[in-house]
Amino acid sequence: MVSLSKLYYEYRRIWKAVRLFLIISGPGIVVMVADNDAGGITTYAATGAKYGYGLIWFLLILVPIAYYVQEMTMRLGVVTKRGHAEAVFMGFGSFWGWFSLLDLILLNWLTLVTEFIGMTAALEIFGVPPYLTVLAVCTLMSIMVIHGRYWTWEKISLFFCAINLIYIPGAFIVKPSVSEIIHTGIIPNLPGGFGNELFFYLMANIGTTIAPWMIYFQQSAVVDKGMKEKDIPWGRTDTLFGAVLTVVVAVFIIIVTGTVLRGVEIESAAQASVMLMKTNEYVGAFMAIGLFDAGLLGAICISLASSWAFGEVFGWAHSLNYKIKEAPWFYGNYFITLFSAGLVVLIPKAPLVLITLFVQVVAVTLLPAALVFLILLLNDKKTMGEYTNTPWQNLVCTTISVGIIILSTLYGVTILFPDAFN
Amino acid sequence: MLKRYLSEAAETIREINRKYETPGIEMSGAVRIALFALRIYLVVLVCLFVYKFITIL
Repeated sequence: MVSLSKLYYEYRRIWKAVRLFLIISGPGIVVMVADNDAGGITTYAATGAKYGYGLIWFLLILVPIAYYVQEMTMRLGVVTKRGHAEAVFMGFGSFWGWFSLLDLILLNWLTLVTEFIGMTAALEIFGVPPYLTVLAVCTLMSIMVIHGRYWTWEKISLFFCAINLIYIPGAFIVKPSVSEIIHTGIIPNLPGGFGNELFFYLMANIGTTIAPWMIYFQQSAVVDKGMKEKDIPWGRTDTLFGAVLTVVVAVFIIIVTGTVLRGVEIESAAQASVMLMKTNEYVGAFMAIGLFDAGLLGAICISLASSWAFGEVFGWAHSLNYKIKEAPWFYGNYFITLFSAGLVVLIPKAPLVLITLFVQVVAVTLLPAALVFLILLLNDKKTMGEYTNTPWQNLVCTTISVGIIILSTLYGVTILFPDAFN
Repeated sequence: MLKRYLSEAAETIREINRKYETPGIEMSGAVRIALFALRIYLVVLVCLFVYKFITIL
């Protein structure tokens, strides 16, 4: 009888914890899964096609990297109750504030264009014309925000995060060799030896793991959600869960293309989908659906990150908990960013490839600044109090940030000067 | 109307500049070094961009 009551107590305790997690989770999962955006899916698909399962181990390393950076973001937002754009203005003055804000707005807009490129390419495989895709996406994203409730927006976003798992059944359908995955994928190795090409792929994978908009988005999201200091442990779990989820999805994409398209040069995830369809219709369709979903999630987060940042700095009402007439500038910015990026994709002969490359180059101007500001702000005892970075957190986060800055800079320079390291 | 809008926008920007005139973070040696390194990094990067732009033209 005593053990039964103990069991029931344990069950109630765990269920309560799960319910609490379900309430508080959201920003971490959404930001991490959205990190696997259209550009990310292309990178993973190309990595799998080029090196098979050989770089799966490298993706696993990205879990702690993504977690530590985003955990700092979450903590900063919860403690300061300010988004990253406002925090930079307050912490470092208007010069660095304007630099970060304008760079973010430009970068986000360009990235949003690449999300639309991915979405239109994905649905074109099913015969949907690009104008219809842009129209549908803009309508859907408008519906998501007009309710005037953060909660509604977050739950819809989490639904799209769940669709991102579509690559997992795809990987099972292609029947990969589990022993090969373990032997060539899990044990660290450099397929084909270390060379420029491998280095480029490693940099590209790192580059897709941490993007500047993620820092701005998650910090603003935890503020809008109203998370408090006591929620930090749950915020950490949310962020860790998201980091694991995003890498799991990336690994399954690599397994799919590494099994079916090994040795094939892949230029886009849409191209990979078409090629996969020749082998298995469902797997190809899953890849295309996943690509559309990835682009949509990216678009959802990026357009909001820009609106939040503008609202924080200009002092406009900037919350998804406001109706449109209560926060017209916030929503106006959201819609202008969204519609203008969508329209660019529809312009005949628009330099879409150039825009895609330009995103990576502009990112290297903002990412180092965002990471440096993040670490400095997290060390400001006056603001952070007991939540200031510990020496251990500083060691880990500084090492990660320096690594990301070096690799992303080299990646940007490689795109700018393709023969720089030959 | 455009003139009024632009002057209002300029005033808003001036107000933001005044509000955030002084950095809120304690400017310790480490912070100064980090910000200086960031400036150098960005200057080098911009030089690379400009060089690329000129060579493309």
